[in-house]
Amino acid sequence: MRRLAGYVSALVAVGIVTGAIGLASTQVHLANASMLYLIAVSALGIFFGKGPAVVASMAAFLAFDFFFIQPIHTLTVTDPEEWIALLVLLFTAVATGQLAAAQRQRAREAEAREREAIVLYDVGRTLSESDLDQALPAVSRRLRRELNLDAVAIEVHGASGGRIERAEVGAPYAVEATRHVATQPAMVLGTNPEERGTALGVPGHWFRAVPSSTPRSERRHPRRLHVVPIHSRDRQIGRLILVRVPGATTFARSEDRMLLAVTNQIGQAVERSALRREAMEADVLQRADSLKTALLNAVSHDLRTPLASIIASASSLRQHDVTWSEDERDAFAEAIEQEATRLNRIVGSLLDLSRIQGGSLHPQRDWYDLGSLIDDVVGRLGPGLGRCTVTTDVPSDLPPVFVDSTEIDQVLSNLLENATKHTPCGTEVRVAARTHDDEIEVEVTDAGPGIPPDALGQLFDPFYTLSATGGQPRGIGLGLAIAKGLVEAHAGRIWAENRTEGGARFVFTLPARTATSVQGEP
Amino acid sequence: MSAHSHPKILIVDDEPAIRRAVRTNLVGHGYAVEEAENGRAAVEMLLSSNVDLILLDLGLPDAEGLEVIREIRTYAQTPIVVLSVRDAERDKVAALDGGADDYLTKPFGANELLARIRVALRHAGRGPDSLGVVLTAGDLSLDVDKRRVTRAGREIHMTPTEYELLNVFMSHPGKVLTDRMLLRAVWGPSYGAEAHYLHVYVARLRKKIERDGQQARYVKTEPGVGYRFMADEP
Repeated sequence: MRRLAGYVSALVAVGIVTGAIGLASTQVHLANASMLYLIAVSALGIFFGKGPAVVASMAAFLAFDFFFIQPIHTLTVTDPEEWIALLVLLFTAVATGQLAAAQRQRAREAEAREREAIVLYDVGRTLSESDLDQALPAVSRRLRRELNLDAVAIEVHGASGGRIERAEVGAPYAVEATRHVATQPAMVLGTNPEERGTALGVPGHWFRAVPSSTPRSERRHPRRLHVVPIHSRDRQIGRLILVRVPGATTFARSEDRMLLAVTNQIGQAVERSALRREAMEADVLQRADSLKTALLNAVSHDLRTPLASIIASASSLRQHDVTWSEDERDAFAEAIEQEATRLNRIVGSLLDLSRIQGGSLHPQRDWYDLGSLIDDVVGRLGPGLGRCTVTTDVPSDLPPVFVDSTEIDQVLSNLLENATKHTPCGTEVRVAARTHDDEIEVEVTDAGPGIPPDALGQLFDPFYTLSATGGQPRGIGLGLAIAKGLVEAHAGRIWAENRTEGGARFVFTLPARTATSVQGEP
Repeated sequence: MSAHSHPKILIVDDEPAIRRAVRTNLVGHGYAVEEAENGRAAVEMLLSSNVDLILLDLGLPDAEGLEVIREIRTYAQTPIVVLSVRDAERDKVAALDGGADDYLTKPFGANELLARIRVALRHAGRGPDSLGVVLTAGDLSLDVDKRRVTRAGREIHMTPTEYELLNVFMSHPGKVLTDRMLLRAVWGPSYGAEAHYLHVYVARLRKKIERDGQQARYVKTEPGVGYRFMADEP
């Protein structure tokens, strides 16, 4: 259309200029009237390109000869000087037209490249900044706006574990068309020539793809559905589907280039996302693996130690070739009871840890008075904490807390046991609670040797242990890990630090909520 | 229990090792013992024989322990002490609210077992709440007629709710009381889920009756289940 308009304009423009020269020459003698054609030719070159400019040059040559050179109204020329003037006109016109057209071409290319660069920058940024499931719709929207399309769809697989990721934007009927792309005739942009097995045309050129299932009557030239394959590591992993608005002309070369670059970027993003996922899975596996190793060590060592004492004591009791005194029998029985209790505690801890790590904690929350919870724990552990004096400091106006009492009970028990295990006899362990901003902070402080600085980062890791003081049995390193899991299940935080005045300080927080219905007689 | 000098205890557990250990111990302490390995056998045994107390494992292979309790409660008031594992607080509470008298967490020691059995048998032997008595525990005494509470002879002022709460506690010494039981007994039958009232009142009551806030001597918390009032020195 535009092409034809260019040629028509060329002829019209030459006609107008010829008329103008004819009118003017009746009034004045024009020595170089033919130069007026050059204006028309360069304008045509700028607006319509090379072809129309050349046509206009030829038309100007003929028209000037026909209308203004003796003998008039014939194409013959008698005066050799006139010949020269005519040829100069022709060459100048062609050259001017070419120059103007080239200028126009360069300006257009610069414009197209700028647009291409902006689109590619936007697409690249979108793909690198967000996850694929958000990036693909954004890229589709961007392309649709940029290329004035009815619909855009992007299909990729292999990004998130074999699942097909699909993003689509556009008018509903056009989006529907993108879903049937496999069975419809479409224009396909040739991409990777090294593709194994499938011919994908000449790179950078569109070719017609008609599925064999299409009836002969519908095998007309597809004008609206366009497909650009997406590749990653030499393998086709998806496609970009474009639906053009009715009556649109073909894509420009710069647009083809842009589409190829966009699909290339999508392919790379899919690859990156797959790599990231693989790395993450490897990391999870490795963590699970090291936890399993630690668990195996714990089972083989920490569970067997008490079992060894139990079996030794029980089998001693059953020996009939010695006569045990009452005291000796008592000692055996006591060992069995103690070690079995220890074993029970270890099994309980392992179960707790697996529940926490398996995410199957279901806190049964209610409103509790934190002071009473602390008193309960201190009261219950009292005999076991004999080595230390435990003092509590809980303000009486502390608001009730919304917690699972057994779980917070266990957090407190674990922290207290940990404190007494690592502090020398006769020192003071202090439990204090206070409101701090919109949290309630509970701390267990001791006056022991403190925490070695290099241990601070790992204290709450499962199976991490430090040797206890005073020849106490080393734990299996689950108490603090469990405390951490339980506190976090209550949306709280837990940490440990050394006090400047000596000793360690373990703190955990619980979100404070205002209890409205707790006051007064119900 | 008065019918025979040796109270008869029925052990319902599918683990032969547990049954054997418990039987040996109980027989050694002068109890008569029957065994059942599942809920059905337990129910049959109850119909055919006089049993004074049931030790019931909540994890039976053929029936939910809770169903067994409900079935037994339709025709017998025999005290039931349930045996259950740790981390099953919800099951314990359901069993207690469903009619069980007490619970023991596996693994348990022999002394704990015997203490629970004694408490449950004592409660079973007592008649309905008597009027006009003075309940005592340690240095605490509660005069039901005068609604007066004294500690070591000195009167303690109490709000009506605190008094009712203490009355319920002292009427059931040694027995575990779930949050729900306490709420219904003190606040009325329409209460049951408002456990936070209870926790707050127990905290207030403790401040008044316990000598040393740190070592709750009378009102012990049973984590995740409820409270137990200790009348005797622990």
